[in-house]
Formats: sequence, C-alpha cells, structure tokens
Amino acid sequence: MRSTRELARQFMPLITLVVLVVAVGAFQPQFVNPATLLQIASDTATLFVLGAGVTLVIMLGGIDLSIQSVASLTSVIVALLLGQLGYLAFPVAVAIGAGVGLLSGLAHVRLKIPSFIASLAIGGCAAGAALLLSDARSITLGETERGYTAWITGRALGIPNEVVIGAIVLIAGTVVQRYTAFGRFSTAIGAGEPAAIASGIRVGLHKVTAFVLSGAAAGLAGVILAGRLASGSPTLANQLLLPAIAAVIVGGTAITGGVGSIWRTLVGALIITVVRTGMTFLNVDIFLQQAVFGAVLIIAVALTIDRSKIPIVK
Amino acid sequence: MTTPALALRNITKSFPGVQALKDVSIEVRPHEVIGLIGENGAGKSTLMRILAGVYQPDSGTIELAGRPVSFRGAAEAARHGIGMVFQEQSLLPNLTVGQNIYLGAESAFTTGGIIRWRDLYAAARRQLEKVHVDVDPAMMTADLDFATRQMVELAKALTLEERTDGQLVILLDEPTSVLEQKDIDILFARVRELKSRASFVFVSHRLDEVLALSDRVYVMKDGAVVAELPAAEADTHRLHQLMVGRDRQAEYYRESAQRPYGNKVVLSARGLTLAGHYRDVDFDLHEGEILGIAGVIGSGREEVCRTLFGLAQPTAGQILMEGKPVRFNSPSDAVARRIGYIPRERRVEGLVLFLSVTANMTLANLKEMMRGGMIDLRREARMAAGWVERLRIRTPSIRALCLNLSGGNQQKVVLAKWMTAKTRIVILDHPTRGLDVGAKEEVYELVRAMSAEGMSIVLIADTLEETIGLSHTILTMRDGRITHRFDASPGAKPAQVDLIQHMV
Repeated sequence: MRSTRELARQFMPLITLVVLVVAVGAFQPQFVNPATLLQIASDTATLFVLGAGVTLVIMLGGIDLSIQSVASLTSVIVALLLGQLGYLAFPVAVAIGAGVGLLSGLAHVRLKIPSFIASLAIGGCAAGAALLLSDARSITLGETERGYTAWITGRALGIPNEVVIGAIVLIAGTVVQRYTAFGRFSTAIGAGEPAAIASGIRVGLHKVTAFVLSGAAAGLAGVILAGRLASGSPTLANQLLLPAIAAVIVGGTAITGGVGSIWRTLVGALIITVVRTGMTFLNVDIFLQQAVFGAVLIIAVALTIDRSKIPIVK
Repeated sequence: MTTPALALRNITKSFPGVQALKDVSIEVRPHEVIGLIGENGAGKSTLMRILAGVYQPDSGTIELAGRPVSFRGAAEAARHGIGMVFQEQSLLPNLTVGQNIYLGAESAFTTGGIIRWRDLYAAARRQLEKVHVDVDPAMMTADLDFATRQMVELAKALTLEERTDGQLVILLDEPTSVLEQKDIDILFARVRELKSRASFVFVSHRLDEVLALSDRVYVMKDGAVVAELPAAEADTHRLHQLMVGRDRQAEYYRESAQRPYGNKVVLSARGLTLAGHYRDVDFDLHEGEILGIAGVIGSGREEVCRTLFGLAQPTAGQILMEGKPVRFNSPSDAVARRIGYIPRERRVEGLVLFLSVTANMTLANLKEMMRGGMIDLRREARMAAGWVERLRIRTPSIRALCLNLSGGNQQKVVLAKWMTAKTRIVILDHPTRGLDVGAKEEVYELVRAMSAEGMSIVLIADTLEETIGLSHTILTMRDGRITHRFDASPGAKPAQVDLIQHMV
C-alpha cells in the first residue's frame, strides 16, 4: 500500500531534474535538443562516478573526503605510465585509487578515527604524492598516449563513451547495492549499527570495503578526467569534492546513512550539471553563478529529502 | 462533583491507514491516580502523545481545570502543568542531574544570558528532596543507576509545580518496566505522597501494579475506551479480560509444553570471570534446555549473557562448546557458532528500524539467501512471507519498515531472524520487555517451540514469575557469583521466595 504522496516523494529528485530541464528549455529551446542533452550526460560522467563511490561510504554513515585528491593522483599516474604500460596503466591507476581507499578505511576502522578526519588526512597524503610524482606540473598526453584513451573520448553508435562508462558504473553500483551482502549490510549498518553488530555482521570489514570501492571509483574518475582533458595534473579534480557530495545529497541519499542509492546519485549529479550548464545557457552573470548555484542546491535538497525515512537531519 | 484537573473529550486521531483513537473521553480528577491499560496498539501511546503536545487531535477537546486548551508542543503542555515521566528514560546521560532537571527551563536562573549555576543546583536539590533522592545535582546522570534516574525524572516533572499556577498532571509512561521490586515500592510510595500536589496518569502493562497504585482504571482496546472502573472493584483477571476481550490462558507459561531436555551439553562455562562483574561462573547448557538466570541488577547476570555472545571478553575461565574451548572476540564469532541474541534494547540492538521486515529477518543469515554471489530476492521474500505467516506477525507487508510494527510484532521479527539463522543457542535478554499480555503469550509459545526443536536457551526474564514459569533450570546469582542451581521441572517449580533468598 503506497500512497501517491509517498511515490511523489520517492521520485522527487527525478521530478526536480525534469522540471529543471524543461524550465531551461522553455527559455533556450536548443538546450533540450538531443546533442546538448548528450553533452550534459557526458559532462556529468566524472561527477557521477565520484559521487557513486562516495555514496557507498555515505550509506554506511561515513564520509570519504579523499576522492578529489585520489582522482587527481590517478590522473597523474595515468599520464606518467601510459607511455610505458599502455592499457595496463588504467587498471594500475584504479588499483592505486582502491589502495588509497583501503588506507582511509583502515585508519577509520582500525584506529577508530572518524571517517571525516581519516579520509581528509589520507586524501592529503594522496594530494602530496600527486604533487611529488608530477613535480607539481600538468603532464600533457602525447599523440601515441592519446591513442589509448579512445575508449574514454570516443563515441559508440553516436553515444559518447563517457556516457557508456557512467551507465556501466550505474548498473554495477545498483547490483552491488541490491544484490550483494555488502550492499544489504551497508544499509543495515547505516540505519542501525548496534543492531547490525548484534546480528553478527562484520561491520569493520564492510566499512573498509566501502572505502576501497569509493577509492576505486575515484581512481576511475581520475582516469576519465585524464582522457577527457588529455593530461594529468595534481589539481585536475580540485573543485569536484563538494559537487560530488552535493550530488549524493541532492539525489535524496541521507548524509547520516541507511537511505539512498546509486541511481539517486546519478539524478543528483545530473541536476548539478543541468543547473551549471543551464545558467550558461541563460546568460547568468559568471560571478552570480556561484551564488545561484548555492541557492538552487539548498532548494533542491529541501525538496528531495524524504523526511519520513530521515527523521533527524544533522 | 469537582471540576476535573484534566479532561479529554471525544478525542479522535487517525494516521494514514489507521484510526488510532476513536472518540476517547477520559477525566482525571484532582489528586487522583488514573490507571490506563490496554494491549500494544490499543492507543495508549497516541493518547499520551496528544496529552504531551506531541500530536494534535483531529477532533475533540482537552480541558484543564474546565478550560479548553490546545498544545502545539511539549513545551506548551509543560507550561500548562503537564509533565511526563517516560518509559524510555529521557534524561541526557552526558549532562549533570541538575542540568537535566532544568533542561529547557534555565531561563529562571539566567542573568544576561549567563546561567547562575549555583542557584540552579540549589533549586535542583530542592526538587530532589521532594522525591527523597539524596544525590548531588552536580553528578553526571550517567553515573546514576536506573532506579535513581527514574526518580530524577519524577523530580524533573515536579519542577512544573513552581512554573504553573494550575493543577499539575504527571503522566507516568511505563515507569516500572526497568525497575526492581524494591525500587517500584519506593516509586509508588512517592507517587502516593505526591498526590496532594498533583494528579497522575499511570500507564503500565503490569496489571497488579496498576491496581495497587490507581484510584480508577481506564481500559483501552483498539483505539477506544472499553471500560472505566474503580480500582477497588477490579482484579487483574477482570482487567485482563477487558483488555484482550478473552480469557487469560489458564496456562500462561505453557508449562505443559515443557519437555525434558536432552543429555547433550552444547555450551559450558568453566571458571568464567569478567573482572568487576562476575567470577567463577560454571554451568552446563543442554540441548533443548531453557536455563534461566535470576539475579538483581548488579548480580552480573547481564554481563554473563553479553560474554556468551561475544559482546564482552572474559578475563579468565573458558567457554566450551561441545567440550571444546571457544573464544568470541565479537558477536560475529558467536553468530558463526550459531549463537543468537535477543537483546533487551529491541529497537536499538534487536532490529534495524529503518529496514524492512524481510531484510531484518535475514540480517544474521544472509548467506543462506545467496545464489551465485547475489541475494535471491524472490527466495528471501518467500522465506519472509513464510515466517510472517508461521509466527502470525501483523505487518502491512513484508516490505514494511520495522519501525511501523508494534512491539510484539517487532519482537517476533527478531525471533524469526534467529530462527532462520538455524541458531542452536539463543540468549534471551528480557524477551518480553514492554510487550502486552497477548504478545507475551505468543513469545512464550515461541520459546517453547524453539526448545522443543532442540534449541538451547539462556534466559534473563523480566520477572521472577516468568523465569520460574519458562525455565527448565534456574541459576541464581548474587554479587557476581552463582549462588544456587534449581531444577524447575513442571510440577516441581521452585517458589519465588526460594529464589529470592539466594539473590539478595
């Protein structure tokens, strides 16, 4: 028995997204043509992949603040290794991302440091490593190296490959959340850790797993960025941490854990890109954009949080 | 006739899908104690929340000393002289006693935004004197025992005396559920003393207590008042009948279903010690045996149970399973050995309230639901539906959040969780706490069924009567040591006095 109201609340983020697209389209019809929409989708991919990873940590009631440093680090690693290793550079970069996540997770679980601090500190180490490895410079990919990145920058059947990568992450993330013990236990831990412990769930193990997956997703996001911008840089993903977390929350996932999903993060990431791009389409003053963006973010979160499941907001 | 201190007239309240209160009228006369009883889901809690200003009625009026009032929040109800002493204690453990007593009412002791602590503590001390509690108001609340905290709550409610001109009405919501008998006696003595200062509404599942304390009793069933009678004219049997609309089972604890237990020892403790809590605990738990542990708070029985589930690690001695020593570093080690735990804090440790009935049932045994590394959602749903039917769990659907279930049905979900996990040993820590009579009987029936299937049970019960009724064997504990072992076969059960002399 589900009332229409409940359904509306469930799909509020999606409704918000559609309303935003239609609203911008009403003023600038070229905004809603398929080419623009596909461009928006591919522009969202990096943000979504980052957000998808951190969603897994947030579901458990934690937070991973290392993601932007990890993404920058892996962009540098790809740029450095692509010449020597070829395609192998990509899995190496993602694995290093996962490794950084493992460190954050262990610091959080083993040393009992709040995830906020643990991931911030480990993220700082990752940022430092990126600066050292790159000599604090941006590394541009050469002609041959760029040949390896076609799987990121190309198109298949007219669809940008970035969109395909995003779709694969969406499917994988959804399967992990819905059909694996890790996904189920994450929700349980986020919604009621004492009961999860008293049911014999190995809470520490699942927390570390979430950080590893988040690190791997951030690593992948760095790889995509490196391909997209044809370079690696220790500051490449700066400015992406807060939008990624905003995407999770705008999508309706509770920052306190237990309620949320990857598809919600996709919707949240799309909302953020649509607002950003929409403002450019509507010729909003570049300096005013930040302020408008902040205001829209507040309104979007207020609309999308399902308060029947998130009783206390902190 | 005197004007009632508090009157509820024709109160109606509905929530989506449920009519929680139907045309409820209740009067509380000055200096009177009203008993309010009913099964879980009868509407008592909703009524209390309306009185406390947490909910607003859909229709009907609330009158205080004859004047209609409406409350838009707990603070407003408090200003009108309605105080609450909660079932789940509402004191904040990280504040001092004095800070708790005047929480939200500090303005009386504030000059220019600065609190005059000396005055506040002096006033708090006067409040504590009203209930004869001799603790320093500057003490941390966390350092008080449960019974004292309950008294502090009462003192807190009494501060309203100085803040309102009218009659004080104090709502006591299950105040005795966590108290030992001697503390209950003290609480009741205080309430009787305070009748000159206030009227009380007393909500409890313990009918004998309601009769002992109340002047009049209201019985609720399915959201309506079904009876109102003077306590002097009622007995527990009559109240029980009115509450459930049927006779109490002649055989409350299903003693005739108690079968002799097996010979096989499944779990033993040898010299088990947790420094500061218990020492040299020895026992054998047999297949199908219900082993009750009786003892007062501080006897160490709670810690013994927590140790058996890996929530605490012994400092000396051994736990043996089928003769082999085992070590539980965490509950997951105990669960791996097929030990289950039904905690007293059902809503915190028993269930994830914001998860569905289905997900809660498989929490301890998800791997049974896996096929090819993935959860087989259909199989899980079938299993959950089967348990819902078998245990007669009343829930709108197996996808409903446990949050929306009544206490008895929540407890059945917790029991189902361990039954699906094919648990061999279950530790029951106050399994019927906060449940109404009907739900208790269902839990007793399940406990018997588990035992008959060969599951072994360690039981810490709410009352001695329950311990005696359910157990095959009873251990008494005092000051961290086992003092006696009783056989409790049907027909040869020890009496309460037999146990008590080994407990205190």
